[in-house]
Amino acid sequence: MNETRKWILHRVSAIILTPLYVWFFFSFISLSTKNYSEAIYFFTNPLFKILTIILFFVGFFHARISLSEIFEDYIHSKKIKDVANILILILGIIIPVIILILLIYKI
Amino acid sequence: MTDNQNPLSPHLQIYRWHISSLLSITHRISGVINLVALILIFFWLIALILGEDSYESFLLMFNSFFGKFILIGFVWSMCFHILSGIRHLVWDLGYGFEIKTANISGIIVIISSLVLTIIFWLLAKGFI
Repeated sequence: MNETRKWILHRVSAIILTPLYVWFFFSFISLSTKNYSEAIYFFTNPLFKILTIILFFVGFFHARISLSEIFEDYIHSKKIKDVANILILILGIIIPVIILILLIYKI
Repeated sequence: MTDNQNPLSPHLQIYRWHISSLLSITHRISGVINLVALILIFFWLIALILGEDSYESFLLMFNSFFGKFILIGFVWSMCFHILSGIRHLVWDLGYGFEIKTANISGIIVIISSLVLTIIFWLLAKGFI
């Protein structure tokens, strides 16, 4: 990914995440006092399911670009920096995919 | 480590503190905290899918004193990062670079992040 594209996609993902994260976190805090069946009921809504999946994909994408920026400033060794970037890339794919599979097939 | 000859930006301790630098590093830290929150939510969802018992243990944790402290911290981190992010987007559009304006917008971000945290928490918990 070239730097200009990275810069633009970082801003675009930030704008997508803002309403998504506020909505999800609000629901999450609300659910934190409620019981199991109410939490399951929340995720049976197909729209909420899709929005949660999008939140995870876009959230980890945004985090990946941001973290590589932080690594650039604070990690001296190129090798460690590359490993750190690959780790966050893998994590940023695996976690959203697990969420996708679980929400679609298990709830 | 001698494999990288590029100049490195000076680390934080070198500079005198300003609102601008405080906000800059807090933006980064709150971003990392938000990622931690998202990972916690990931495990919470796993617990939910595993069944009632594992979900109950999360509920127990969230409603303990320490758990509430952490959750309120996450809410603040979200509020701060979004407000500070909006400040960055306004800069990206080319506005607000004057030192006075940037300092004022910085103070607005700090104060409103605290106010929004309280409002968000009370609303989400159903107190108001």
